[in-house]
Amino acid sequence: MQPVISIRDVLLCHDKGFRLSIDNLDLLQGQIYALTGPNGSGKSTLLRIMALLSLPQKGKVTFAGGIMDLTEQRKRVTLVEQSPYLFQGTVSENLQYGLKLRGVEKEEQSRRIKLMLSIVGLEGFERRMAKELSGGEIQRVALARALVFKPDLLLLDEPTANIDSNSLQAFEALLSKLTRYGVTVVFSTHDLSQSDRLGAELLQIENGHLINRPNGAQDDNDANKWRNSHG
Amino acid sequence: MGYLSDSFITAVGMIFSFDREVQLAVWTSLYTSSCSIVIAALIGIPAGLWLGIKPFCGRRLMITLLNTLMALPTVVVGLVLFGIFSRQGPLGSLGLLFTPWAMIAGQTVLAAPIVANYVLATVNGADQRIMDTALTLGATPFQAGVQLLKEIRFGVMAAVIAGFGRVIAEVGVAMMLGGNIRGTTRTMTTAIALETSKGEFAFGLSLGIVLLCVALFVNLFLNFLQQR
Repeated sequence: MQPVISIRDVLLCHDKGFRLSIDNLDLLQGQIYALTGPNGSGKSTLLRIMALLSLPQKGKVTFAGGIMDLTEQRKRVTLVEQSPYLFQGTVSENLQYGLKLRGVEKEEQSRRIKLMLSIVGLEGFERRMAKELSGGEIQRVALARALVFKPDLLLLDEPTANIDSNSLQAFEALLSKLTRYGVTVVFSTHDLSQSDRLGAELLQIENGHLINRPNGAQDDNDANKWRNSHG
Repeated sequence: MGYLSDSFITAVGMIFSFDREVQLAVWTSLYTSSCSIVIAALIGIPAGLWLGIKPFCGRRLMITLLNTLMALPTVVVGLVLFGIFSRQGPLGSLGLLFTPWAMIAGQTVLAAPIVANYVLATVNGADQRIMDTALTLGATPFQAGVQLLKEIRFGVMAAVIAGFGRVIAEVGVAMMLGGNIRGTTRTMTTAIALETSKGEFAFGLSLGIVLLCVALFVNLFLNFLQQR
């Protein structure tokens, strides 16, 4: 299977001394990956690198399909943060933003927005003001906004941290469905049982280093050590 | 006390009788200030946004310079531009001195740093996730900057209004570059200075009342925006 994104010899150093170093990582199309690791291990930093929001000092992040400029690459990937920001205006205007940037026609925009809101369980929310939504609704609108333009790679930073148990089930079902449409999903989580439920491949990160790789080259000792120590 | 109250009554009468001299001075003030604030906004908004989001070498120096420019005395701006626009100056051949255009140029120099500084402060105080959200949805850095401006539009409008407040109330630039010519470059502030020195206190007071009303309106609007 074709890798959607390939990371080679990436190094990113923060001012505060944190260092993220990833030698080799390929994420395959239509797969779901759970990025796990303790707080401060580099999960969010790795997600930002994959989203091309943080550019590494060394190494390469390449997307399938050859050489593209940064903006074209960014159009194929999207990141939903743990506390997503919704733009001022209506839910519909938020979902339109990415579609307008991609030149999607108005009728198609309306169709996709309606469909996506129904998928995330927010039918009829088109005209609701974004700033009046609850935390869980914001999370779902942000997810719908990310999915509405059909990204190749969907990155989710602790997506279930702010949602209740009912929404959690619906959310996990949605993630499973996405991979069937060829979307590659990477989500960070502290809940290892969630990755089991979703059949996700584990990407374990510790102190800025991946201690396993999803496609076979796994260091079982390190991974088991980490799993045992984090329940 | 009688002098003050009599002058006040005369001044109010002049305003409501739409005195031609008062009207001309009010029009010139509003026209020059509006033109200068539009130009200052076109310079100051992108400058403030750029300083706020783009890390580059010398950024701190630029911000310090901008803060210094905010406190520029109006007569110093008037003096420097007088030298530039005067017949022997580098732009003397354009014949701009003592025209509304020279006043607009001077007022733009006064307002642009204020607009840029207020926009910079608004950008610094804005939610850091706005730019990242726009970028991760596929925006170019320019489109993300435009989205940021949309999100902080009330702060940007407050910046423009603060700049307008500065230029409509200034007297140094208008006096030195406009020359206080009746009907063309005589503004409310220069007319107040001239007429009061001639002993026409009521006339000066009528313009002072209009100027206060404009300042009050601007401040009310500013407060309204800040509370949103």
